[in-house]
Amino acid sequence: MQTILAQGKGSRSGMVVMLLAFVLSACAVKSAVRSYAEPGADLRRFHAYSWGPAEILKTGDPRLDSNEIFQRHLQAAVERELAAKGLAKNPAVPPDLLVHYHASVTQRIDLSQHEPFTACPDCKPFVYDAGTLVIDLVDAQTGKVVWRGWSEGNVDGVLGDQRWLEERIDRDVTRIFARWPH
Amino acid sequence: MKGEPMSRLRVTAILALSAVVLAGCATTMGAGAYAQRGLELSRYRTYDWGPADALPTGDPRLDKDPDFRDHLEGAVEKQLAAKGFVRATQETGRPDLLLHYHASIDTRIDVGQTEREYGACRNGDCQSWVVNYEAGTLVLDMVDAKSERLIWRGWAQDSVAPMLADRNRMRQKIQEAVGRMMGRFPHR
Repeated sequence: MQTILAQGKGSRSGMVVMLLAFVLSACAVKSAVRSYAEPGADLRRFHAYSWGPAEILKTGDPRLDSNEIFQRHLQAAVERELAAKGLAKNPAVPPDLLVHYHASVTQRIDLSQHEPFTACPDCKPFVYDAGTLVIDLVDAQTGKVVWRGWSEGNVDGVLGDQRWLEERIDRDVTRIFARWPH
Repeated sequence: MKGEPMSRLRVTAILALSAVVLAGCATTMGAGAYAQRGLELSRYRTYDWGPADALPTGDPRLDKDPDFRDHLEGAVEKQLAAKGFVRATQETGRPDLLLHYHASIDTRIDVGQTEREYGACRNGDCQSWVVNYEAGTLVLDMVDAKSERLIWRGWAQDSVAPMLADRNRMRQKIQEAVGRMMGRFPHR
């Protein structure tokens, strides 16, 4: 790959280089899913959950701030996953687990193509909207976070399209809960 | 060749100019909407403006700007009338829908490199430039007055610097923003 990039001459190979640069830049920002579990925490001891106090932090994008349509879709996706894990949302039962989430969007500049080993002299920095979705499960008795799962990725254009946004929420929530330990 | 350095300079000048023009165009207005799933608009007929948004606009240039407010509300009311909605009066009673709007300005970054796109890069000496611009976002919310649930949100985004400098341009942009977001609002 390096040699192909380095040898790029003339307009046709220039185009190949641009294409490769595009592919590389897409790779550099593909979404990642991670999770963190409190050491020694046993998630099997939790049976009933409820939603914690609503998100009041700004998301970083005015289109998402206090957007209940977005929030309801996200909550429904999380509730599906929790139900599949055997956790119940029953107002009659005092919850032992509280669920919080936080969605945020930040503009990022990716300069990775300027690293010397890419040998790509006319690659430009790449600006994109990075979206992060964090889901916290909190022990209702101690108030401690027992599990946190999150996903991070390029959301350019996603927020502007309701269907795309909802597909991304469904996908990311499923992927986050796939990291659930049991 | 004798004339080459001169013509290359001219080409560079033209490219620089088009870069500036394109940079202006790069931030054309974006608009869209979110709708509650299964939204039945036939349930709604009357509307009114809800209490002013608690969130600040994030910019003193738009806060308490009566001209901005008048034009925005006027544009929305016109679109709603065309779609068969009626503003609530004493006769119609309480409104079915409450409207809120929120305008904000954020500084955003854009990266350009028009030279390469025009194939004028030689020996890899393309310069990419990073520009800051101010992106304005207008959000229009429609809330079911009974359930107090958000049922529809329209949004429009554009670079605001040229509008803040020119009243007429701002009015035009408000018309365009409202027209485009409401174009996504289903007829009753």
